Amino acid sequence: MMGSKDNLDTTVEQQTELLLKQLMHLKQYEKPETARMTRNKQNIMRMVRQANGSKRKSLGDLLEINMPWLFAEPKYGVALLFVAFVGLQYAGINARHESSTGTGIYAPSTSLVAVNSISTATNSISYPKFPDNVALFPQGNRSSDIKFVGRIEK
Amino acid sequence: MIKNLQSDPEELPEEIEERPDALLEEVPEEEGPPDAELVLKAQQGDVQAFDVLVDRYHGRIYGLTYNMCSNREDAEDLTQEVFVKAFSALPRFKGKSSFYTWLYRIAVNKTINYRKKRNRKRTLSLDSFDQEIKSDEAYHDLTSKGSPLRNISLSELQIKLNEALQSLSEKHRTVVVMHDMQGIPHEEIAKVVGASVGTVRSRLFYARRQMQSELAEFVK
Repeated sequence: MMGSKDNLDTTVEQQTELLLKQLMHLKQYEKPETARMTRNKQNIMRMVRQANGSKRKSLGDLLEINMPWLFAEPKYGVALLFVAFVGLQYAGINARHESSTGTGIYAPSTSLVAVNSISTATNSISYPKFPDNVALFPQGNRSSDIKFVGRIEK
Repeated sequence: MIKNLQSDPEELPEEIEERPDALLEEVPEEEGPPDAELVLKAQQGDVQAFDVLVDRYHGRIYGLTYNMCSNREDAEDLTQEVFVKAFSALPRFKGKSSFYTWLYRIAVNKTINYRKKRNRKRTLSLDSFDQEIKSDEAYHDLTSKGSPLRNISLSELQIKLNEALQSLSEKHRTVVVMHDMQGIPHEEIAKVVGASVGTVRSRLFYARRQMQSELAEFVK
């Protein structure tokens, strides 16, 4: 009795195993519509183009794309940084040396003369002569008002 | 062990970890320029090169996401998301693994995360069978007079199979879909899911057992 039940279970198990295999196999025939897939691909590429257009590459990304060897071989990257550091240090020393020779603004004397001559030439403005009948500072002791001494024509 | 297998997968990171592998390097034998060349061009901003990659892997990624979700609309959305994500993450792709493995990893992670977010809204929306099915031996076996399933329509079996698939945990379904439906070897699945080959085999065994018990009602 028990033996026949076991046999039945084994048969059911084998059958379900076979059924599963067959159904799994047939599932590969579930195929999407070609038009839908084409549309899907187009959507993907549209989104990719949008992303590509709006994407601003960071300095890190640009370095990574244009100088991949720097990231692939870090030792060269470190060496380059060291050389750059030494170069900057050297440039800094030179700049300090030049600045320590003196302070102030220096200009050649010839150019200064030229500047002076130009300024005097431009600053000499000739004013018209003041008329004699107008006394700017009258001699009277009462007030400082300007006194008109001319004649008014009618 | 079974307790471990049944536990829910952890939240997968959006960032894709690259793991070195040599096995998948020679897997896809496609016409045209090799993946590595296209990837390099795409990394330099060549969208046309990425277009070729999309064309090359679109069908497989759709197949993976469709069989993982049993819903074609979701699969289409996910396929889109996978490729857009891959494009945006391409500057960080160092080539330690093949592009194919890396893309599969993105697809698996995206699908699992997507399904976790939409846990309550799961409906079947299936693609219809191709006419070529009628010339398949398995189809004849199932529909022949001697078959115990001859009175059940194929679409009914299709629904039942997809329901059985959806009853599996994400980890188990991933392995079944990749191995039994897409024909990817154990070693490659192990690289994609980040587990050992032994774990992949045991997940496959457990998943098949569970699906068999779901389908047993048709046989009895």
